[in-house]
Amino acid sequence: MKDANLLGRRNFIKGMGAAAGVAIAAPAMAISEKADGVKWDKEVEVLIIGSGFAGLAAAIEASRKGAKDVHIFEKMSYFGGNSAINGGLFAAPGTPMQKQEGVKDSVDRMVADQMKSGRGVADEALLRHVAEHAVEALQMTMDAGSEFHPYLQQLGGHSVARTYQTTVSCGAGITQPLLNECRKLGVHTHNRAKFEGFLVGDKGEIVGVKMRENYHFGEDQPGKISHIRAKRGVIMATGGFAQNINLRMAQDPTLTAEVGCTNAPGATGEGMYEMFRLGAIPVHLAHIQSGPWASPDEGGFGYVSNYTIYNFPHSLAIHRLTGKRFMNEIADRKTRADAELSCRDEKGEALPPILITSYKDSKKHPNTKKVIKYNVGWKFDTIEELAKHFEVPLKPLKAQIEEYNSYVKSGDDKQFGKNMTKAKDKFIEAPFTVVRLWPKVHYCQGGVQITTKAEVKDSFTGQPISGLYAAGEVCGGIHGVSRLGSCSIPECMVMGMTAARSVMQA
Amino acid sequence: MIKLKAVLALTLGCLLTLSVQAVEVRDHHKEVIGKDCKTCHDNGIKQFPSDQSCLQCHDVDDLAEQTARNEEDKWQNPHNNLHYGKELPCQECHGEHQPKQPMCNNCHTFKFDKHKQ
Repeated sequence: MKDANLLGRRNFIKGMGAAAGVAIAAPAMAISEKADGVKWDKEVEVLIIGSGFAGLAAAIEASRKGAKDVHIFEKMSYFGGNSAINGGLFAAPGTPMQKQEGVKDSVDRMVADQMKSGRGVADEALLRHVAEHAVEALQMTMDAGSEFHPYLQQLGGHSVARTYQTTVSCGAGITQPLLNECRKLGVHTHNRAKFEGFLVGDKGEIVGVKMRENYHFGEDQPGKISHIRAKRGVIMATGGFAQNINLRMAQDPTLTAEVGCTNAPGATGEGMYEMFRLGAIPVHLAHIQSGPWASPDEGGFGYVSNYTIYNFPHSLAIHRLTGKRFMNEIADRKTRADAELSCRDEKGEALPPILITSYKDSKKHPNTKKVIKYNVGWKFDTIEELAKHFEVPLKPLKAQIEEYNSYVKSGDDKQFGKNMTKAKDKFIEAPFTVVRLWPKVHYCQGGVQITTKAEVKDSFTGQPISGLYAAGEVCGGIHGVSRLGSCSIPECMVMGMTAARSVMQA
Repeated sequence: MIKLKAVLALTLGCLLTLSVQAVEVRDHHKEVIGKDCKTCHDNGIKQFPSDQSCLQCHDVDDLAEQTARNEEDKWQNPHNNLHYGKELPCQECHGEHQPKQPMCNNCHTFKFDKHKQ
């Protein structure tokens, strides 16, 4: 068995974390200053920090609304942030594909699903704003050239199928076209440019930023500080902090360096913390989500994540010690991640559970071939072979599969109440494909509080901080305790567009 | 005096070793590495070379062609990949003074047999 791999991988990540910690400590600390007497090196019209979905959508929308001089600054050497490496899943209510497939959906229904997953503390007004504009944002990606699989998916926690996915099964299928679109529109893009703090006017308004240019992430080199004035405003689209082990442990001590992470290395949170120092309201920082579809056999998001997201509705997840199911395979993310973490051997050591799918059904997803080819998943001709490989007791496993197949037939899961709509006629039969499951830190629900106009609110006045806007994962409170899958891309895009509209009206 | 010279020689020797020996020098770099640092260090000796520095001699399209993979795996081409196209700066995966891993390894188990650090 490949249990040694799990440990090896985790130690590797631990090493990375330690190295990154040292490197991050090296450069001068970001800090905001009064703009009095500052000598401006440059003046721009709209200043956007971060080049993921939110930053790119903001730049495009600002240009379409008439901005002539839009600049995106990106800390890393490459553009796209965490958006360039995720699953490329986009939920929207009332889409053309839903009409085609006969799925009844609405803004209300999508908001209700999200409120449920948010466990009572999600921000309904923001969720509604995003859901109302999600189709418009989806259209923006298509206009830029994004292509989507010709089918809808029903992700965990969603009551209907409403999720599009790019044909490359990755957010890069959106960031690459949006980046091209930005360049067509004349947006200026700057890489290796690290935000180092705000420059604040007499009335507490944001008038510009300090930017370290020629910045090399994780390396010790001085670069050069420049002071950039933003005529209309600054849009912070800097993402989450899942890669910053100190910060995430400050919120949730269980998220140590031993827990893997799906995020791009740049997701370190300093933009968000600088807004707090300025007076922004922190919301829900301790709600940090782990992806229950990740695999311990590869790093980051890898290939398995999309494979499992597609296959969960017609697969069963098995505890290897008992040979039985232990969760609803399409419950929301937190429910499943918690259930997986409870899968341990007699000594309490991690025993990653397995996901069993019929090859006839799994092979419809383009990643299945790759998962097998790159040795992060396996194919078996018989149940005996499968049971032997993962040391699962054969008899209970056989009985469990038989029982599950009766639920496929009846459409009623008596064990965990799983919605069996997408499992219809998909009996679990040989040959099988199998992957191992283990959660990875994936998304930070917490961040700065914003209005439905993407304005950043001040802690003491409750009023927007003039000249400052934020969009995407850096914002907090929208999703509450647990974000539903495929609801981040619409949020990033809609709030990026919203921020641009606000900045152009201000 | 002789002692001083020896120390100086030793120091210079070390500097040279530092720049040359840290990784195996590629044949086509032998002409420049350790001779004229400014050839690559266009931002000044104490700063990393710019992202354009390598492109003085290397052509991205040629590199992409050299590392092309078959249709099924076409997006695993490090010089023209799914996530960043042809825009991934060379220094993400290659270093002349320190060994580096292919960036894809952060998330994938691909093999790059010909990867030179």
